[in-house]
Amino acid sequence: MAEKLGASQAEAYVGQSHAFSIEAENSAIRNAEETVDAGIGIRAVIDKKIGFAFVTTLSDDDVREAVEKSVILSRASIPDPDFVSLPSGDDSYQPVNGLYDKEIAALSSEEIADMIIRVIDSSRQVLEGRSYAISAGVQSSFGVNAVVNSLGISCSESRTSLFLSSSPVVKSEDDQTTSYDFQLTRDLSEANPEHVGESGAERTLSLLGPRIIEGGEMPVVFAPLGAATVIGRGFAGAVYAEEVQKGRSYVSDAFGDTIASEHLEIVDDALLPSGLGSRTFDAEGYPSQKTLIIEKGVLKGLLHNSYTANKDKVPNTGNASRPSYSGLPSISTSNFIIKPGSGTLDDLVSEIDRGVVCRNTADRPNMTTGDLSAMLYEGFYIERGEIKHPLKNTLIGINMRDLLKRVTRVGSDTRTTLAMITPSFVIENATVTSG
Amino acid sequence: MEDLAQAAIDAALKTGASFADVRIENSTTTIIELNDGITRQSMASRLRGAGIRAFVDGAWAFAQTTNLTREGLKETAESVAKLAMATRNKVDERFSIDGPVYEDKVELNVRRPFESVTIDEKMQFVQLIDNQAREFDPRIVSTRTIYGELTSELYIANSIGTRVYLQNAIPRIISVPTAKDGPNRQRIQQSISLRSGFEEMETEAAQNIGVTAAKLAIALLSSKAAEGGMYDVVLDPALNGVVTHEAFGHATEADNWISHSTVLEDKINKKVGPEYLSISDDPTLDGKRGSTEYDWEGTKTKKRHLVKDGILTDLLHSLETSSRLGLEPNGAARSQSFMHVPQPRMSNTFMEPKDWEVDELIEDTKQGILLCSFNYGYTQSAKGQFMFQASYGYVIENGERGTMVRDVSLAGNILDILTRIDAIGKDFELEAGTCGKDGQSVPTMTGGPHARIRQVPVGGM
Repeated sequence: MAEKLGASQAEAYVGQSHAFSIEAENSAIRNAEETVDAGIGIRAVIDKKIGFAFVTTLSDDDVREAVEKSVILSRASIPDPDFVSLPSGDDSYQPVNGLYDKEIAALSSEEIADMIIRVIDSSRQVLEGRSYAISAGVQSSFGVNAVVNSLGISCSESRTSLFLSSSPVVKSEDDQTTSYDFQLTRDLSEANPEHVGESGAERTLSLLGPRIIEGGEMPVVFAPLGAATVIGRGFAGAVYAEEVQKGRSYVSDAFGDTIASEHLEIVDDALLPSGLGSRTFDAEGYPSQKTLIIEKGVLKGLLHNSYTANKDKVPNTGNASRPSYSGLPSISTSNFIIKPGSGTLDDLVSEIDRGVVCRNTADRPNMTTGDLSAMLYEGFYIERGEIKHPLKNTLIGINMRDLLKRVTRVGSDTRTTLAMITPSFVIENATVTSG
Repeated sequence: MEDLAQAAIDAALKTGASFADVRIENSTTTIIELNDGITRQSMASRLRGAGIRAFVDGAWAFAQTTNLTREGLKETAESVAKLAMATRNKVDERFSIDGPVYEDKVELNVRRPFESVTIDEKMQFVQLIDNQAREFDPRIVSTRTIYGELTSELYIANSIGTRVYLQNAIPRIISVPTAKDGPNRQRIQQSISLRSGFEEMETEAAQNIGVTAAKLAIALLSSKAAEGGMYDVVLDPALNGVVTHEAFGHATEADNWISHSTVLEDKINKKVGPEYLSISDDPTLDGKRGSTEYDWEGTKTKKRHLVKDGILTDLLHSLETSSRLGLEPNGAARSQSFMHVPQPRMSNTFMEPKDWEVDELIEDTKQGILLCSFNYGYTQSAKGQFMFQASYGYVIENGERGTMVRDVSLAGNILDILTRIDAIGKDFELEAGTCGKDGQSVPTMTGGPHARIRQVPVGGM
């Protein structure tokens, strides 16, 4: 239809999902939610001009309106000389195993309710005798997406996942704190509500009685959740080809250079079996692959979609990503992975005379300058190889280019988080401010 | 629409729900983004559907549908009510939902409705801003300009009898230039957004936002990274707004009382700051981004005096929180769209101005730092811990504004920081923002006057 209206190329992206979730608050179930979402996004191309429209329904009238709008918008756009073409299909698709679990798709509301009660009960056991309120959630999701374009791409894939979380608030005489733990898996047999519940509670207890410390330059141990934010968001975004092409990334001029310590090796692997970011094709329908990003400290690869790859005249890495049907393809990681070294978090801590642990932070660097100022919202003080106490009002400051180069050690305690798959790692020093 | 909503409510009640509500939304958005003078995206969308909630005893259930027929709504309502019935045995606390009944149809009058402005005129506006930023200085190496508009119609009905029809229109222009000088690269974002038609994009400020942003990006090239340490901090209105929103506003959302997850739990009607400190959240302001006559549960909105003369006074309520806490509803329940459950949220949040002249405030600060604008911020209400990052600032030495610094972060604890506010300016500004909570984003504004906080930890490189 878009072609009939005058488009030279066109693409349709259909996303459908069905999620069921139950939430608990103050240690009891209170809300059940069923989300059924289906929509279509249309990309129309006329002479290097692109228009996009989406609707949250799949009804004929709405889809027709979206197609018409995408063509109108494409006509009104300013041509992009760097746009070459939408991707075309080939035969190099490698199916990824473990993305769909029919048992997750078949979970009933009772089974999900049972799982959340197991999470809450496990948190309760750890917190017995204290003043607490547990928030928890369990969500099962099923999704299918399909990409079809006028150059012969036509593919679809189904995926399921299960998310469990526990977040207790604990009050002591003069303090109140909270933490959380979670599990996100594509395999029902891996689900471990007891572990999520216990760990969420233990993590919360460990934060009671935070103190400030004397600041200064000192080593920082990034535990997996902290590492995932700093690298999975703060570094991954810097190797998106579009950011590099536009000169907005702090590693813009560094392709092929040594940008990190020799201990650091990072890959993006969209083909990892059962991986949360795994898929057979990317959001433009292009085949997935494994891409080397950093090897022995050298920046070896960037993440591309069809547009940035065409612009640089390099192979597409299949990293197009979009928020289901409701957006144009941008770029993102699939499974961003730091290669593990050796040692547990305790081992890494034991080697430090005076430093801090960043167990979690929500902060990301300025992507253009690389400056990172991060609050340790879950942080600990290390003295003579031991964790002494949790921290409050404590920030670390470092430029990402220094952070990458100062990695002295990578652990083996790999964990899958929402942003990436990573073990703990240590950096030689950063500026710590506390007050 | 009235019939559809009634059919859904009837179906939910018949299935056993004691309370049910329906939101039917029809929204359109247009986004035009240019990067370096060429189109990055031209996007149009339509969101059309209904969200239905059913409640019984203490159990909520929610689902949405895009099948806006009588049958579609009825079927979804029945299934939601069944889900609530199934969960009711697993709830600990039983309570009921009550609230005032409103019947109203509010039409929003704007001078230039978005649909009356051609796509070409909008494109030209974005081009104007993108070009002016790029042409401002040869050191501007990259520009990014985004125009967005939202038009929405919302019909809200519940089983108590509320029937409210609302309209909204919000335009936004954002300019994000990158400046480069040698290896030094700086990027800054400036934006303007109000509740209006296209006319607010024709003001002098909106028509020149590319220059405003480019000027700042160039200035930032000669800025330095701040040195970490304890500082007396003067906040500009934009940053004060973010501090007020993050460090305090979130902790007054009344769902935190139900879940026992705010450090303010025992502080209602108690002193939380100095007597000259007042913080308000006001959705009734005319033409502001966070303004609305009724909230997403159909409750009439009113100004909330979160802190009045240093005392924690009002909370932000949904019908559930006002019912359960036995307090007056004040229309603070908002959803991102029909696909989301309403939650207590902020609207336009600000510190009330007092008596200091801005110049005097800086002069009176012997050694400190003036922090301006913001990159982002967040808070954990249960711990009271917050963090926010200013886009740039100036070191204050001997009462004078000195070296420009950038990306300065502040961290602190809510209960602690309010007591350290010792001087509040008489100026006032509100900035456009977007607030996220539990995966839902809603348009907000934040602001206030300049204000000083004594001895705050500031992160540096």
